Amino acid sequence: MRSSELTKRPVVTMAGEDVAQLKDVVYDGSGGSVGGFTLAGRGLFAGPMKKALSWEQVRALGRDAVMVDSEDAFAEPEAVVERSDARERDVLGSHVITDTGTDLGSVVDVVLQIGDVADVVGYEIESSPALDRDGRRVLIPLPDTMAVSGEALIVPAQATEFVADDLAGFGASVDAFRDHLRGNR
Amino acid sequence: MLLSELKDHPVMSLESANRVGRVAGAVVDPATRSVVALRLRKTSGDGDTLHWEDVTALGQDAVTVAGQRLVTEARGRAEALSGKEHELVGKRVLTSAGDEAGEVTDVDVDPESGAVARLLTSEGDVEGGRLVGVGSYAVVVRA
Repeated sequence: MRSSELTKRPVVTMAGEDVAQLKDVVYDGSGGSVGGFTLAGRGLFAGPMKKALSWEQVRALGRDAVMVDSEDAFAEPEAVVERSDARERDVLGSHVITDTGTDLGSVVDVVLQIGDVADVVGYEIESSPALDRDGRRVLIPLPDTMAVSGEALIVPAQATEFVADDLAGFGASVDAFRDHLRGNR
Repeated sequence: MLLSELKDHPVMSLESANRVGRVAGAVVDPATRSVVALRLRKTSGDGDTLHWEDVTALGQDAVTVAGQRLVTEARGRAEALSGKEHELVGKRVLTSAGDEAGEVTDVDVDPESGAVARLLTSEGDVEGGRLVGVGSYAVVVRA
Protein backbone atom coordinates (compact mmCIF):
# COMPACT_ATOMS: atom_id res chain seq x y z
CA MET A 1 0.00 0.00 0.00
CA ARG A 2 0.98 3.61 -0.36
CA SER A 3 1.85 5.26 2.92
CA SER A 4 -0.31 8.27 2.01
CA GLU A 5 -3.34 5.98 2.37
CA LEU A 6 -2.55 5.65 6.07
CA THR A 7 -3.00 9.32 6.90
CA LYS A 8 -6.19 9.94 8.88
CA ARG A 9 -6.86 6.23 9.35
CA PRO A 10 -8.51 5.85 12.77
CA VAL A 11 -6.72 4.17 15.66
CA VAL A 12 -9.28 1.94 17.38
CA THR A 13 -8.94 -0.02 20.62
CA MET A 14 -10.14 -3.61 20.94
CA ALA A 15 -12.87 -2.08 23.14
CA GLY A 16 -14.20 -0.28 20.06
CA GLU A 17 -13.17 3.30 20.86
CA ASP A 18 -11.53 5.49 18.23
CA VAL A 19 -8.83 7.14 20.30
CA ALA A 20 -6.73 8.86 17.63
CA GLN A 21 -5.95 8.95 13.96
CA LEU A 22 -2.66 8.55 12.13
CA LYS A 23 -0.88 11.72 11.16
CA ASP A 24 2.64 11.07 9.99
CA VAL A 25 4.55 7.87 9.28
CA VAL A 26 7.85 7.66 11.15
CA TYR A 27 10.51 5.50 9.51
CA ASP A 28 12.91 3.35 11.41
CA GLY A 29 16.39 4.55 10.56
CA SER A 30 18.11 1.21 10.41
CA GLY A 31 15.86 -1.20 8.64
CA GLY A 32 13.87 0.62 6.03
CA SER A 33 10.61 -0.09 7.77
CA VAL A 34 7.89 1.80 9.60
CA GLY A 35 8.92 2.53 13.18
CA GLY A 36 5.66 4.12 14.20
CA PHE A 37 3.28 6.99 13.72
CA THR A 38 2.61 10.42 15.03
CA LEU A 39 -1.04 10.94 15.95
CA ALA A 40 -3.80 13.47 15.70
CA GLY A 41 -6.97 13.67 17.74
CA ARG A 42 -10.29 12.52 16.30
CA GLY A 43 -13.05 14.88 15.38
CA LEU A 44 -13.47 18.10 13.49
CA PHE A 45 -11.62 20.39 15.84
CA ALA A 46 -9.04 18.01 17.19
CA GLY A 47 -5.46 19.09 16.72
CA PRO A 48 -2.21 17.17 16.97
CA MET A 49 -1.78 14.84 19.92
CA LYS A 50 1.26 14.83 22.12
CA LYS A 51 1.44 11.07 21.75
CA ALA A 52 2.90 8.64 19.26
CA LEU A 53 2.37 5.00 18.43
CA SER A 54 5.29 2.65 17.92
CA TRP A 55 4.96 -0.19 15.41
CA GLU A 56 5.37 -2.85 18.15
CA GLN A 57 2.11 -1.68 19.73
CA VAL A 58 0.11 -2.00 16.52
CA ARG A 59 -1.98 -5.18 16.71
CA ALA A 60 -3.21 -4.92 13.13
CA LEU A 61 -3.11 -2.45 10.29
CA GLY A 62 -6.29 -3.07 8.34
CA ARG A 63 -8.08 -1.51 5.41
CA ASP A 64 -10.21 0.66 7.66
CA ALA A 65 -8.47 0.99 11.01
CA VAL A 66 -5.30 0.56 13.01
CA MET A 67 -6.00 -1.73 15.95
CA VAL A 68 -4.36 -1.31 19.38
CA ASP A 69 -5.10 -3.03 22.69
CA SER A 70 -5.91 0.20 24.51
CA GLU A 71 -4.83 3.79 24.91
CA ASP A 72 -1.93 2.48 27.00
CA ALA A 73 -0.33 1.59 23.67
CA PHE A 74 0.57 5.24 23.12
CA ALA A 75 4.01 6.52 24.00
CA GLU A 76 5.62 9.91 24.36
CA PRO A 77 6.45 11.27 20.89
CA GLU A 78 10.16 11.36 21.71
CA ALA A 79 10.20 7.61 22.26
CA VAL A 80 9.08 6.97 18.69
CA VAL A 81 10.44 9.92 16.75
CA GLU A 82 13.92 10.18 18.21
CA ARG A 83 15.08 6.72 17.32
CA SER A 84 14.22 7.26 13.67
CA ASP A 85 15.90 9.14 10.88
CA ALA A 86 12.96 10.41 8.93
CA ARG A 87 9.33 11.26 8.89
CA GLU A 88 7.00 11.07 5.97
CA ARG A 89 7.16 14.77 5.32
CA ASP A 90 10.96 14.71 5.22
CA VAL A 91 11.00 12.04 2.54
CA LEU A 92 8.36 13.49 0.23
CA GLY A 93 9.92 15.81 -2.35
CA SER A 94 13.38 14.34 -1.88
CA HIS A 95 15.24 13.36 -5.02
CA VAL A 96 16.14 9.77 -5.74
CA ILE A 97 19.65 9.48 -7.13
CA THR A 98 21.31 6.31 -8.41
CA ASP A 99 24.72 5.21 -7.18
CA THR A 100 25.96 6.13 -10.64
CA GLY A 101 24.79 9.70 -10.19
CA THR A 102 21.54 9.95 -12.16
CA ASP A 103 18.58 11.86 -10.73
CA LEU A 104 15.51 9.65 -11.22
CA GLY A 105 12.95 12.12 -9.90
CA SER A 106 11.31 13.27 -6.68
CA VAL A 107 9.41 11.17 -4.18
CA VAL A 108 5.63 11.62 -4.08
CA ASP A 109 4.75 8.56 -1.99
CA VAL A 110 6.30 5.62 -0.16
CA VAL A 111 5.24 2.04 -0.90
CA LEU A 112 4.88 -0.31 2.07
CA GLN A 113 4.41 -4.03 2.33
CA ILE A 114 2.58 -4.89 5.54
CA GLY A 115 3.51 -8.04 7.41
CA ASP A 116 4.99 -8.48 10.87
CA VAL A 117 6.90 -5.37 9.97
CA ALA A 118 5.81 -2.62 7.59
CA ASP A 119 8.66 -2.90 5.10
CA VAL A 120 9.46 0.07 2.87
CA VAL A 121 9.70 -1.63 -0.52
CA GLY A 122 9.72 1.32 -2.89
CA TYR A 123 9.10 4.93 -3.74
CA GLU A 124 6.56 6.42 -6.04
CA ILE A 125 8.41 9.13 -7.92
CA GLU A 126 7.60 11.90 -10.35
CA SER A 127 10.03 10.60 -12.94
CA SER A 128 12.84 12.69 -14.36
CA PRO A 129 13.74 12.69 -18.10
CA ALA A 130 16.45 10.10 -17.28
CA LEU A 131 13.75 7.44 -16.90
CA ASP A 132 12.18 8.31 -20.27
CA ARG A 133 8.59 8.03 -18.97
CA ASP A 134 7.38 11.49 -19.98
CA GLY A 135 7.47 12.65 -16.37
CA ARG A 136 4.81 10.13 -15.33
CA ARG A 137 4.65 8.77 -11.82
CA VAL A 138 6.38 5.42 -11.53
CA LEU A 139 7.26 3.02 -8.74
CA ILE A 140 10.88 2.23 -8.07
CA PRO A 141 11.92 -0.73 -5.88
CA LEU A 142 14.34 -0.44 -2.99
CA PRO A 143 16.92 -2.89 -1.65
CA ASP A 144 15.73 -4.61 1.52
CA THR A 145 18.55 -3.19 3.58
CA MET A 146 18.08 0.41 2.59
CA ALA A 147 17.50 2.99 5.27
CA VAL A 148 14.97 5.72 4.67
CA SER A 149 16.47 9.11 5.27
CA GLY A 150 15.43 12.63 4.62
CA GLU A 151 18.56 13.53 2.76
CA ALA A 152 19.98 11.87 -0.33
CA LEU A 153 17.96 8.82 -1.36
CA ILE A 154 20.54 6.76 -3.19
CA VAL A 155 19.47 3.58 -4.94
CA PRO A 156 21.44 1.05 -6.98
CA ALA A 157 21.35 1.90 -10.68
CA GLN A 158 19.83 -1.54 -11.46
CA ALA A 159 16.62 -0.36 -9.77
CA THR A 160 15.75 1.46 -13.00
CA GLU A 161 15.34 -1.92 -14.72
CA PHE A 162 12.60 -2.90 -12.27
CA VAL A 163 10.42 0.19 -12.46
CA ALA A 164 6.65 -0.48 -12.39
CA ASP A 165 3.70 1.65 -13.44
CA ASP A 166 1.24 0.54 -10.80
CA LEU A 167 0.99 -1.32 -7.50
CA ALA A 168 -0.55 -4.43 -9.09
CA GLY A 169 2.73 -5.73 -10.47
CA PHE A 170 5.04 -3.93 -8.10
CA GLY A 171 5.37 -6.70 -5.50
CA ALA A 172 6.87 -8.95 -8.18
CA SER A 173 9.19 -6.13 -9.32
CA VAL A 174 10.48 -5.69 -5.76
CA ASP A 175 11.09 -9.44 -5.34
CA ALA A 176 12.86 -9.66 -8.72
CA PHE A 177 15.00 -6.63 -7.94
CA ARG A 178 16.01 -7.90 -4.52
CA ASP A 179 16.78 -11.36 -5.88
CA HIS A 180 18.89 -9.71 -8.57
CA LEU A 181 20.86 -7.77 -5.95
CA ARG A 182 21.49 -10.90 -3.91
CA GLY A 183 22.72 -12.69 -7.03
CA ASN A 184 25.19 -9.91 -7.65
CA ARG A 185 26.86 -10.21 -4.30
CA MET B 1 -34.15 -15.02 20.84
CA LEU B 2 -33.49 -11.86 18.86
CA LEU B 3 -33.28 -8.55 20.71
CA SER B 4 -35.64 -7.09 18.12
CA GLU B 5 -38.25 -9.70 19.16
CA LEU B 6 -37.67 -9.04 22.84
CA LYS B 7 -38.16 -5.32 22.45
CA ASP B 8 -41.55 -4.07 23.69
CA HIS B 9 -42.24 -7.39 25.43
CA PRO B 10 -44.27 -6.76 28.59
CA VAL B 11 -42.48 -7.48 31.86
CA MET B 12 -44.94 -9.23 34.19
CA SER B 13 -44.71 -9.47 37.97
CA LEU B 14 -45.46 -13.00 39.20
CA GLU B 15 -46.49 -11.59 42.59
CA SER B 16 -49.15 -9.18 41.39
CA ALA B 17 -49.72 -10.44 37.82
CA ASN B 18 -49.40 -6.81 36.76
CA ARG B 19 -47.24 -5.40 34.04
CA VAL B 20 -44.27 -3.58 35.61
CA GLY B 21 -42.82 -2.25 32.38
CA ARG B 22 -41.85 -3.03 28.81
CA VAL B 23 -38.47 -4.05 27.44
CA ALA B 24 -36.66 -1.11 25.88
CA GLY B 25 -33.31 -2.79 25.27
CA ALA B 26 -30.60 -5.06 26.61
CA VAL B 27 -27.25 -4.27 28.18
CA VAL B 28 -24.56 -6.59 26.78
CA ASP B 29 -21.21 -7.07 28.52
CA PRO B 30 -18.56 -7.77 25.87
CA ALA B 31 -16.25 -9.20 28.55
CA THR B 32 -18.61 -12.10 29.29
CA ARG B 33 -20.41 -11.93 25.91
CA SER B 34 -23.76 -12.00 27.64
CA VAL B 35 -26.73 -9.87 28.63
CA VAL B 36 -26.29 -8.38 32.10
CA ALA B 37 -29.58 -6.49 32.28
CA LEU B 38 -32.71 -5.41 30.45
CA ARG B 39 -33.56 -1.75 30.24
CA LEU B 40 -37.27 -1.11 30.71
CA ARG B 41 -39.63 1.71 29.87
CA LYS B 42 -43.05 2.55 31.27
CA THR B 43 -41.98 1.47 34.72
CA SER B 44 -43.88 2.77 37.72
CA GLY B 45 -41.05 2.89 40.26
CA ASP B 46 -37.77 4.80 40.27
CA GLY B 47 -35.59 2.27 38.49
CA ASP B 48 -35.61 1.22 34.85
CA THR B 49 -33.28 -1.77 35.01
CA LEU B 50 -34.00 -5.46 35.42
CA HIS B 51 -30.72 -7.29 36.10
CA TRP B 52 -30.23 -10.66 34.41
CA GLU B 53 -30.00 -12.58 37.69
CA ASP B 54 -33.43 -11.19 38.65
CA VAL B 55 -35.18 -12.35 35.48
CA THR B 56 -37.40 -15.37 36.10
CA ALA B 57 -37.93 -16.18 32.42
CA LEU B 58 -37.66 -14.77 28.92
CA GLY B 59 -40.77 -16.16 27.31
CA GLN B 60 -42.21 -16.00 23.81
CA ASP B 61 -44.67 -13.31 24.81
CA ALA B 62 -43.48 -11.84 28.08
CA VAL B 63 -40.58 -11.47 30.47
CA THR B 64 -41.44 -12.59 34.00
CA VAL B 65 -40.03 -11.33 37.25
CA ALA B 66 -40.78 -12.24 40.90
CA GLY B 67 -41.94 -8.76 41.82
CA GLN B 68 -41.86 -5.06 41.05
CA ARG B 69 -39.15 -4.53 43.69
CA LEU B 70 -36.60 -6.18 41.37
CA VAL B 71 -36.89 -3.34 38.87
CA THR B 72 -34.17 -1.03 40.18
CA GLU B 73 -31.50 1.46 39.29
CA ALA B 74 -28.65 -0.04 37.28
CA ARG B 75 -25.79 -1.32 39.43
CA GLY B 76 -22.41 -2.97 38.85
CA ARG B 77 -21.64 -3.90 35.24
CA ALA B 78 -25.10 -2.81 34.10
CA GLU B 79 -24.37 0.67 35.41
CA ALA B 80 -20.89 0.76 33.90
CA LEU B 81 -22.28 -0.31 30.55
CA SER B 82 -25.28 2.00 30.40
CA GLY B 83 -25.07 4.62 27.70
CA LYS B 84 -25.23 4.71 23.93
CA GLU B 85 -21.57 3.83 23.36
CA HIS B 86 -22.20 0.32 24.68
CA GLU B 87 -25.12 -0.48 22.38
CA LEU B 88 -24.54 -2.94 19.57
CA VAL B 89 -27.38 -2.52 17.09
CA GLY B 90 -26.71 0.05 14.39
CA LYS B 91 -22.99 0.16 15.02
CA ARG B 92 -20.24 -0.59 12.49
CA VAL B 93 -18.44 -3.92 12.83
CA LEU B 94 -14.64 -3.87 12.81
CA THR B 95 -12.52 -7.02 12.87
CA SER B 96 -9.45 -7.25 15.07
CA ALA B 97 -7.49 -7.12 11.78
CA GLY B 98 -8.74 -3.56 11.22
CA ASP B 99 -11.21 -4.28 8.41
CA GLU B 100 -14.80 -3.10 8.46
CA ALA B 101 -17.47 -5.79 8.11
CA GLY B 102 -20.87 -4.15 7.84
CA GLU B 103 -23.04 -3.07 10.75
CA VAL B 104 -24.88 -4.87 13.54
CA THR B 105 -28.56 -5.28 12.70
CA ASP B 106 -29.67 -7.55 15.58
CA VAL B 107 -28.36 -9.74 18.40
CA ASP B 108 -29.40 -13.33 19.03
CA VAL B 109 -29.44 -14.12 22.76
CA ASP B 110 -29.80 -17.51 24.46
CA PRO B 111 -32.94 -17.03 26.60
CA GLU B 112 -31.68 -19.49 29.23
CA SER B 113 -28.17 -18.19 29.87
CA GLY B 114 -28.27 -14.70 28.41
CA ALA B 115 -25.21 -15.51 26.32
CA VAL B 116 -24.83 -13.75 22.97
CA ALA B 117 -25.27 -16.59 20.49
CA ARG B 118 -24.58 -14.54 17.38
CA LEU B 119 -24.50 -11.05 16.00
CA LEU B 120 -26.59 -10.45 12.91
CA THR B 121 -24.84 -8.01 10.60
CA SER B 122 -25.46 -6.50 7.19
CA GLU B 123 -22.73 -8.83 5.92
CA GLY B 124 -23.91 -12.05 7.57
CA ASP B 125 -23.91 -13.73 10.97
CA VAL B 126 -20.99 -13.52 13.39
CA GLU B 127 -20.71 -16.14 16.12
CA GLY B 128 -21.12 -14.59 19.58
CA GLY B 129 -17.83 -16.01 20.84
CA ARG B 130 -16.00 -13.69 18.44
CA LEU B 131 -17.21 -10.54 20.20
CA VAL B 132 -14.23 -8.63 21.60
CA GLY B 133 -15.40 -5.12 22.41
CA VAL B 134 -18.23 -2.62 22.08
CA GLY B 135 -17.31 1.04 21.97
CA SER B 136 -18.53 4.35 20.65
CA TYR B 137 -16.78 3.83 17.30
CA ALA B 138 -17.32 0.15 16.58
CA VAL B 139 -18.21 -3.34 17.67
CA VAL B 140 -14.92 -5.25 17.47
CA VAL B 141 -15.01 -8.96 16.55
CA ARG B 142 -12.15 -11.43 16.33
CA ALA B 143 -10.91 -11.70 12.74
